[in-house]
Amino acid sequence: MFAPQTAVLGTLLLTALAPGLARGQTASTSPAPATRQTPEPQSFPVAQPAAQPAAPAKPRNYLALLPAPPFNRTTIVIDPAHGGADNGSRISDSTVEKNVTLALAFHLRSLLTARGFNVVMTRDNDDANEKAPPFAPLTLDDRAGIANHERAGACLLLHATAAGSGVHLYTSELAPSSGETAAGPWLTAQAAWVPQSQHLAARLVEALTRSRIPVVNGAASVRPLDSLTCPALVLELAPHTDDPDSINDDGYQQRVAEAVAGALVFWKNTAQPPPHLAPGEPNATAKSQP
Amino acid sequence: MSIFARRVVFWVLVACIVAAGIMLFAHHERRRGRVERLADSMPIDAPYTDAEPVTLDLVNDANGTVTAATRQIALPTDSTARARALLDHLIAEYALPGSPHPLQPVVPVNEVFLLPLPVVGHAVTEGAQTADGHSATTLVASSNPNDPNAVQPHTPGGELAVIDLRGSFVNQPPSGVEVETLTLLSMIGTLHANLPQIEQVRFLVDGQSRETLAGHADLLRTYPSRDTTTPGAQTDLR
Repeated sequence: MFAPQTAVLGTLLLTALAPGLARGQTASTSPAPATRQTPEPQSFPVAQPAAQPAAPAKPRNYLALLPAPPFNRTTIVIDPAHGGADNGSRISDSTVEKNVTLALAFHLRSLLTARGFNVVMTRDNDDANEKAPPFAPLTLDDRAGIANHERAGACLLLHATAAGSGVHLYTSELAPSSGETAAGPWLTAQAAWVPQSQHLAARLVEALTRSRIPVVNGAASVRPLDSLTCPALVLELAPHTDDPDSINDDGYQQRVAEAVAGALVFWKNTAQPPPHLAPGEPNATAKSQP
Repeated sequence: MSIFARRVVFWVLVACIVAAGIMLFAHHERRRGRVERLADSMPIDAPYTDAEPVTLDLVNDANGTVTAATRQIALPTDSTARARALLDHLIAEYALPGSPHPLQPVVPVNEVFLLPLPVVGHAVTEGAQTADGHSATTLVASSNPNDPNAVQPHTPGGELAVIDLRGSFVNQPPSGVEVETLTLLSMIGTLHANLPQIEQVRFLVDGQSRETLAGHADLLRTYPSRDTTTPGAQTDLR
């Protein structure tokens, strides 16, 4: 009796669902030939394929044309979530998430720089705009693109919440791939790095626990975590007392940052890239090219 | 005519009037009963079952756990309406005072659509047009059962649930990675527990795809329907 209606609804729904389904992990991921970007000579997606090919930019730094090493152990990407018009969650009447994430990022940057890391931040002020004309607001995919271009040893997505206490760590919910082949679609690029991300999370849990900071460790689907091609995790800071404004406590943020920086020093010395990026197998990535 | 005869005629006429009145009343009652029976058999409200035990996967922000809870609820018999009613009851539970996962008392869902898997069709490619002005399309999923990219059911009869959330629900506080993830897990787990034919879940907001729930949890991906309860968590049998 309802079959014709269901069929019509299904057709209508496909139109609404299609962009997501076409990019989703269980759906077809083949873009139309008209929108396909010229493939880059690397084995995993660095930035989301653009709908229209961009005009070639005039290179300013010839060093940038050299192929980047596949795994920069000393480079850490920090993404203070939200910014600009996007306030993120409201922690209290006077505190919004974007300010907390930026403050924590500054603490981390100074500690990591002092320990010899090259720190790349997706934003370093309230604005979250592109650093080149037309200075458009950064999308989540832009942030992932910035991180992926660095081939970083670790990517930290900083968030903040009023719920719970301490630090919440999340790795991708994607099922880990073997790592022997290149990652596939943009929305599941993290799959090849999930084991590394889980090891990194374990190091951070140890360090935070040693610093007596409550830690919750789990898996979640948070944009753009699944598109990152580096050991990546979401670090969500929660207040350390019942007062939500305690999340702004400089001493608390410093304590968290010191624990994270200490764990990253240990991580730098022990981290191993996925097999397709492992040194000594220069053809590993080439083999995986279609 | 004698007086006696006139009296007889009078009483006969009275009797006839009374009998006609009784017959008219009986006929009216019969007719009213027929109309009532007809009205009773017409569907006015969606058919509901009697109150039955229903499993809700309830979350607790304090410890990040998901616990199965049993409630006696009367639900529609139609699967689509049932899925929507389940989500309405779930969010209403969180709107109660003292809830461990406080949410605003709003209607969360515009509609739930259950699509039989595999989903096969073509999607309009955003921004791309052919020379003659027609929109280019991309194959959403192949009808070829051997295509690994096709959205295929794990078992015959499996369904994709498309939950169209209301903007008023999505944009309300609180937000955060944990809170939003727990909200999605609660919805997915509740559907899984009560409608096992649902294998995958997708979310829309006011009919459109959207990147995140409230800035954090991913709404672009297709979630597998699964038991989301935290291992070891006690079942609430209130």
